[in-house]
Amino acid sequence: MSTNTEDESFHPLGAEWESELTSMLDDTEYDTELGLAMAEDAQRLVAGELTEAEFQEKYHEQVLEEFGEDERPTAGAIEDLEDEGGFVDALTSLADGDQSRRDVMKKMGVGGAALGVGALADGRDRDANAASSSGGTTSGKQWGMTIDLEVCDGCLSCMKACGEENNLDEGVNWMYVMAYEDDTVGAPENPDEASVKDWPYLVRPCQHCTDAPCEKVCPTTARHTRSRDGIVLTDYDVCIGCRYCQVACPYGVNYFQWDEPDVSQDAIAEQHSEMTGDHIHDYRDRPVDSRSPRGVMSKCTFCPSRQDGYAGEEKVGTTACMDACPPGAIQFGNVNDEGSDPSVYAEYPAFGRAVENFFDTSSGVRASNGIPPLEEVESQLGTSGESTLDDAFDLFHLDYVQSTYFAANGYERIATIRAITIVADNIEISDNLNRTRSMAAAVEEARGYNDALVAAGIDFESTEVRRTLNLGEETFDDAYGTLRAIFGEDASKFNLLEEVGTSPNVTYIGNEPGPHAEQIPPEETPEDKAVTSYAAYTYERADGSEASIVDNRMDVIEEETVRGL
Amino acid sequence: MSAETPSEADILRPINTLTKKWVALVAIAGLAFALFLVGWAYQLQKGLVVTGLGDWGSGGGVTWGVYIGAFIWWVGIAHGGIILSAAVRLLGMERYMPVARMAELLTLGGLSAAGFYILVHMGRPDRMVTSVISHYHITVHNSPLVWDVTVITAYFVLTATYLGLTIRYDIVRLRDDLPDILEPVYKILTFGYSEAEDEIIERMVWWIAAAIIIMAPLLLHGGVIPWLFSLLATYPIWDGGIQGPMFLAIALTSAISGVTIAAAAFTRAYDWHHIITRDIFRGLLLWLGFFSLMLLWFQLQTIINGVYFPGVAALEAAHGKLHAPLYMVSMGLVAGSLMYIFAQALRPELFTKTRAIITAFAVLTATLIEKVLFVVEGFLYVQFSMYSGVPGSYVPSLIEIASILGTIGMVALIFLFVSKMVPIVELHAIEHLRGDHDEHGSTEVEA
Repeated sequence: MSTNTEDESFHPLGAEWESELTSMLDDTEYDTELGLAMAEDAQRLVAGELTEAEFQEKYHEQVLEEFGEDERPTAGAIEDLEDEGGFVDALTSLADGDQSRRDVMKKMGVGGAALGVGALADGRDRDANAASSSGGTTSGKQWGMTIDLEVCDGCLSCMKACGEENNLDEGVNWMYVMAYEDDTVGAPENPDEASVKDWPYLVRPCQHCTDAPCEKVCPTTARHTRSRDGIVLTDYDVCIGCRYCQVACPYGVNYFQWDEPDVSQDAIAEQHSEMTGDHIHDYRDRPVDSRSPRGVMSKCTFCPSRQDGYAGEEKVGTTACMDACPPGAIQFGNVNDEGSDPSVYAEYPAFGRAVENFFDTSSGVRASNGIPPLEEVESQLGTSGESTLDDAFDLFHLDYVQSTYFAANGYERIATIRAITIVADNIEISDNLNRTRSMAAAVEEARGYNDALVAAGIDFESTEVRRTLNLGEETFDDAYGTLRAIFGEDASKFNLLEEVGTSPNVTYIGNEPGPHAEQIPPEETPEDKAVTSYAAYTYERADGSEASIVDNRMDVIEEETVRGL
Repeated sequence: MSAETPSEADILRPINTLTKKWVALVAIAGLAFALFLVGWAYQLQKGLVVTGLGDWGSGGGVTWGVYIGAFIWWVGIAHGGIILSAAVRLLGMERYMPVARMAELLTLGGLSAAGFYILVHMGRPDRMVTSVISHYHITVHNSPLVWDVTVITAYFVLTATYLGLTIRYDIVRLRDDLPDILEPVYKILTFGYSEAEDEIIERMVWWIAAAIIIMAPLLLHGGVIPWLFSLLATYPIWDGGIQGPMFLAIALTSAISGVTIAAAAFTRAYDWHHIITRDIFRGLLLWLGFFSLMLLWFQLQTIINGVYFPGVAALEAAHGKLHAPLYMVSMGLVAGSLMYIFAQALRPELFTKTRAIITAFAVLTATLIEKVLFVVEGFLYVQFSMYSGVPGSYVPSLIEIASILGTIGMVALIFLFVSKMVPIVELHAIEHLRGDHDEHGSTEVEA
């Protein structure tokens, strides 16, 4: 039997593995050639070079011939399904009233499975109530975060932005940042001379677990995973306020609405009258966003109104906390997409930090980090190819090195720009150019600088320039090495309480708090440094009221406790 | 057995009398219940913010407190009560027949109090039916809380059926001496009665008792209720397989104590010393001793596991538990009771009914404290404990404290009123004591 050994091996594990596969297939009674061809195309299918319909079309007859049956759905069926926005959606539209997609799926049950559409629908739709199902889906969208604890400086911008976005009561810290100490890390020895960055921090939003214990224990299905994008929400109309979710969550992210919330539903709707939706109901018309009403549970939502496009296309794939984070420690996106911001950042932290440190499309190039505006580069260095690296150095060098986050200066800045473009050429970054803050847009920005420098006459390919900038052979490895030298070696990655099996969708970069980790109370941090100084910040709410960030909510709700007559 | 012969008139006495003491007790119990209802109304108006509860996490609060602790306590009393009653029927422990119906009533009262606590505990009790029932087919696969509601409901139905069936025999035979004003009640209770059913009912009741005996330890207080907690691996205080046996032991000690107190009260009020004899109280006390021993033994297991080589969080939890003065009070009460029970077993002259009643009160207090502590401490010692708010503290509000007195008042009211309607000691017991109930005579087993 012939194999395609004359070509390069199609299998990512290489030719050796492929020949092993071939011999395994040879041992079966089925056609090895067909098996390998299908395997190769299956990989193209996964890579998106081939549609599912094309794949089925190509092999339907051969499979029928070889195996005598083909239970896989036919190309026609799939095309119909895709054209009509999905078979399930089509059925849903037939059903009367507000019958949910889930109900239809359930009714389809046996019949659907027999037709083979169940499997198709399954991959795309995570049943909101299939809480018992274990393991995460790798297909479909799953909003999640990568949080870089190494760059967090405890400024609390995220907590402030969250409170404002969701009109939260004081002490309802959906997003919570704490400085901590444990056996290995802690407050700097000389707090007065230290930078706010020198404290270890933990940033704690809801982990939006794939196997969420809160959802599992809920006696009403109010706590549920939204099938479209995997975010874990509370239906404020269904919740009975038993608080079992709060009990079951190992992270302590839930906040119950013990009394009437400060901001009324009307005020919230009024505040959002400009946008689609009322910032309470999501695309399914279920009330899941903003602070919860009295007597029901709330927690970080991953901003469903934004994800549903109600705040405009440019806000899809963003959260309030992420938008607000000055150093870009919070990366939000589809964690099932290898090219999404959180995935890329988790895979190449030094690259992510470099991009976030110098380029940030939400506010343009950050003056504080000292990269001169692009126009200035173009005007100072010209575009006639006569400038030298030393000219560029003078332009990019800052006298106040300490004022920059990673203390990258002069040549390092130029090298960073160059390295970003090289690394970006070699990895896949999803195109999110329309978003208010996105890695792809920031990379575009970096490319602009690179082009300007090239046009100014800097010959990055010359040995001398490469040596000065420490760029090696300008390969991916060399360029990433340059970034790592400036922005830190790839720090450890971890999930909070991974051993518990919640499959969280928040990945952390940096030091994992040890078993003896303890928060450093705000009163023990230096007064003149903004190390989680909760009480120093306020946020404005829909009714015009101003709320302070309150660390311990008991200080607020204790006032109403009946202690006497 | 006293020289006096038990008679129908004895068990009819509560129904056909109306004493000032009864009225006073109704007033006191009613007041306790009413005070709590006022507190609850205030809570409904203001929200759960009026309680001492809070969010665990950055707030370091305790999200379940007295309401859930007392809920388990009442469910425990209920489960223990019916186990006691079923054992009387099933294992032929006929010596305890005079207190069997009180145990059953304690079960219904306890379950009512527990059910009431569920409502009181919720943020949105108005949605209890719509939200829970309409998603039941989904949630029953996952949520221990739904299993809990399921078995408690099943249990209530079983117990009510059991009580309803056994009461028919008495009412038919005693009808002439029962007040006519309650005629409609008796008509419903004895609907379709014929003498031929006695034997069938007896068999049915036996089977229901068998179901209860099997269900209660395995599924109810030894299963579903502890599972609410023991399945959560990141809460060392709750985690672990010991909770099933522990809950059951606590349930049985609480129930025996409850039955002892109820029996003592009725004996004193209606001069039933010849029906609910000293012997019965002594027997109950010995059983209380046995289950108290179990309780302490299981506690020892958790402590030993928590202090030897347990891992960081479990060590903190065990230390926290051992350093909580209330925990020591609770265990001290049980240990003290146990010592007394041992002593009076060795030297019978140390036994007095008053001491038995004091012991029962001591154990009930101990189990209530233990239950509330168990719930609260779960939140104080969590695996993810780096929040500076954790461990926080919890001091129940007046309303929560009132809820305990209120539900005790509520159960007392149930006893006070039911005892005015149907015999609280079953006719079978009287017949048995007189020796004219021959079919059971040969199977008596000394407890």
